[in-house]
Amino acid sequence: MKVSDVVIIGGSAAGLTAAITARRQYPDKRILLIRKEKLVPIPCGIPYIFGTVGSPEKNLIPDTPLQKHNVDILLDEVTEISREKKTLITRSGNGIEYKKLILATGSLPMMPPIPGFDKENVFPVYKDVEHLTHMQGMMKGSSRIVVIGGGFIGVEVSDEINKLGTHHVTICELLPHCLQLAFDQEFCSEAETLVQERGVTILADRKVVAIEGNHRAEGVKLADGTTLDTDMVIVGIGTVPNVELAKDAGLRLGPTGSIWVDRTMRTSDEHVFACGDCAEKFSFFGGKPSKLKLASIACSEARIAGANLFGIHRESVGTIGVFSTAIGDRAFAVAGLTGELATRQGYEVITGVAEGVNRHPGSMPGVSNQKVKLIFEKRTRVLIGTQMMGDRAVGELINVASACIQHKMTIDDIACFQMGTHPALTASPVVYQFVNAAEAALLSMA
Amino acid sequence: MNKILVIDDDKDFQTSTRIVLEKNDFEVASAYDSDEGIRKVQSEKPDLIILDVIMSKGYEGFDVARQIREELKMRELPIILLTAVHEVKKVPYRFAPHEQWLPVDYFFDKPIEPQVLVSKIRELLNISS
Repeated sequence: MKVSDVVIIGGSAAGLTAAITARRQYPDKRILLIRKEKLVPIPCGIPYIFGTVGSPEKNLIPDTPLQKHNVDILLDEVTEISREKKTLITRSGNGIEYKKLILATGSLPMMPPIPGFDKENVFPVYKDVEHLTHMQGMMKGSSRIVVIGGGFIGVEVSDEINKLGTHHVTICELLPHCLQLAFDQEFCSEAETLVQERGVTILADRKVVAIEGNHRAEGVKLADGTTLDTDMVIVGIGTVPNVELAKDAGLRLGPTGSIWVDRTMRTSDEHVFACGDCAEKFSFFGGKPSKLKLASIACSEARIAGANLFGIHRESVGTIGVFSTAIGDRAFAVAGLTGELATRQGYEVITGVAEGVNRHPGSMPGVSNQKVKLIFEKRTRVLIGTQMMGDRAVGELINVASACIQHKMTIDDIACFQMGTHPALTASPVVYQFVNAAEAALLSMA
Repeated sequence: MNKILVIDDDKDFQTSTRIVLEKNDFEVASAYDSDEGIRKVQSEKPDLIILDVIMSKGYEGFDVARQIREELKMRELPIILLTAVHEVKKVPYRFAPHEQWLPVDYFFDKPIEPQVLVSKIRELLNISS
């Protein structure tokens, strides 16, 4: 039987980050990472294998960081955890003894249980190189592709396939708008217009009721009775935590069906930690269970789990939810609650919007429009949400907003925010949208 | 006494579940296929439904759940769905409760420990154990 002080199960974003963090915190411990996959795709890069990047092999998490941090790697599948003996059994018969265990088993794509979902050319976006290669191969002979689900995965996959110029892509979204769970309506509409101008068809507020055909999907039937002819169906309606190993080991599950953890990422067994998509999350806003699953959240949790193995050093503050996406040269980003979600959760909100050019003067090269929407809780005046659209810089500016949210900055703090500006890089300090949106919110209170 | 309707074509499962539920002070009604299930949802007026995905006849348990919610408009009636589909098919995807796609309250993979099922029923019916 092998012995390791720390064993991590799972080799994607959470597992890798937990291993590196554990090494930084505990330089003398023996650390072993066990994963099933020889090659691990970068989860958020998956949509880009279909267009910009070109193939699953160009979107891989390298083993170099693990080797550099002296983490042993075992390519095998853990089939059983014995918590009493603190041992693991793998598919190929290895027995491994651990002192501390981190579960980073991730998630699996959710499938809509509609007739025809199991036809051979219906693909969930499964984070596996072989599956993705098969999917890409199938795509080559498919001129009409229907994507079920207009969230980030659905929109990004569609836009990337559309870039190739050889397929007609249609998105079917249940809700009235694509990206509606992440953005307020005006941002969704702008994103949808862009995606459609680039050639993708969006059918929002439409429910898919069946996938038709014999062995292969030939049509996607909608609730309104129409049928979309198709050569291939891609499903991106969300993910489900992969908790089977934890469940079999008798670990407690949380209210969303993920592995229950406390703020230190400990499970119901003090020697077992969990992080990433498989772990239960709670919202930064009010503490309710959260189903958000992002690689950035996974890495933040992994940095907590990895640090706390032999003593508590870090705690989670809850999930803020920071997303961004790019449609061509335009970027859309969000941190925290949208106005709609905040209102639904019972917050009384004040919002402010500022829009303008992102260079100064406006005749500078690279100029484009930037829009910022800030959402504050009225009574405390604390920032609880930010949405932005603009050039690629908003991908980082949203992280500034997230820091402000995490540190509960108020409307006055933001209105007096000390930013750095430059004509070739940012909006002018006078019209700086992030600050002027706070000023606009203040004005609306007057 | 709370009444539970079990919709499952597996007679052994029906028998064992009835014993467990009755021992825990629940009244039990049984239906062996989806048509009978839909009829009994209306005639028996259960407080909770345990629904099997009924592997022998495809995936019609999913449709039964949708019919209860959409056609019978019983949006608050708790439904627990049981299935062996993940284990049997070994698929790289999962079904899960979803307001629109799969309108059930909870989803269990078979086999299930009787006490786990009972505590979930109690939780959904707000009964303290």
